[in-house]
Amino acid sequence: MPEYLETTVDKFTFRVAKDRLYTPQGAWVFWMKPESPNRVRIGLADYLQQRSGDVAFATVKPVGTKLAVGEMLGEIETIKTMVELPSPVSGTVAEVNAALDVTPEVVNQDPYDKGWLAVIETTAWEADRAKLLEPEAYFLAMQAEAKEELKKL
Amino acid sequence: MNPEKTRVVVVPCSGIGKPFGTVSREAAYELCEELRPESTRLVALAKLVLGDAAARELLAQYPAVTIDGCKQMCASKMVKQSGGTVAHEVAVLDVFRRHKELKPEGIAELNEAGRKLARVLAEEVAASLDSSEQTVKGASHV
Repeated sequence: MPEYLETTVDKFTFRVAKDRLYTPQGAWVFWMKPESPNRVRIGLADYLQQRSGDVAFATVKPVGTKLAVGEMLGEIETIKTMVELPSPVSGTVAEVNAALDVTPEVVNQDPYDKGWLAVIETTAWEADRAKLLEPEAYFLAMQAEAKEELKKL
Repeated sequence: MNPEKTRVVVVPCSGIGKPFGTVSREAAYELCEELRPESTRLVALAKLVLGDAAARELLAQYPAVTIDGCKQMCASKMVKQSGGTVAHEVAVLDVFRRHKELKPEGIAELNEAGRKLARVLAEEVAASLDSSEQTVKGASHV
């Protein structure tokens, strides 16, 4: 079980797992070392999944798809919106979470564990990881964004 | 509506301002006003929130069918909190997952797909009510 950074904004509590990196848009990237040092697991951060709402469908590019950073890895359709997920790393899709077909709500229920989306075999991990945010940096950005969103209500 | 024939109370969510909440209410109207007006009674969730005596009385008399627009399941929770019995719990999202082509949009007025989704949902609940009625009738003949 990872440790979390946690903040409560209005009635919502958001957690950020401390054992992985993040994109500014709210995808997490978990480096699967030491078992698979060239692979990363990817999912949606707690804030992004809560903000987006209940997931209706989660579609991820099939195993074997080659992606550059920023190319579309998947789409998450929720009751509120369509979340487009650009790949945070370059590489090849090695695994897709089979649970997404049957129980896509797992993305909402367990965003940092059972709700993962894909595993990517990376081709330029050292370069890609340098562009990702440490959990503390993402936490601060997420917290600021959540407070700004609250002002709009 | 004929009180003598009422078998269930229908409680949709009150997700004002959200398409899935609107689908839940449209489906409830469809069910109670068009498909099964004789055997259903519509109760607004807001009345339960306010503790309306007549609404609570209905819940005490009849089992409830709840139709929720999101996984917060406010209608279902409120029926239970008001002392009612949830006989059948429906989530719009679950029905949408079976009918991906019917993506609801619009708030004050649903798009065509949203209206169809509401109709499908209402028909599913009506079929479920018919099925349970058949079971009861069958049992009474034994």
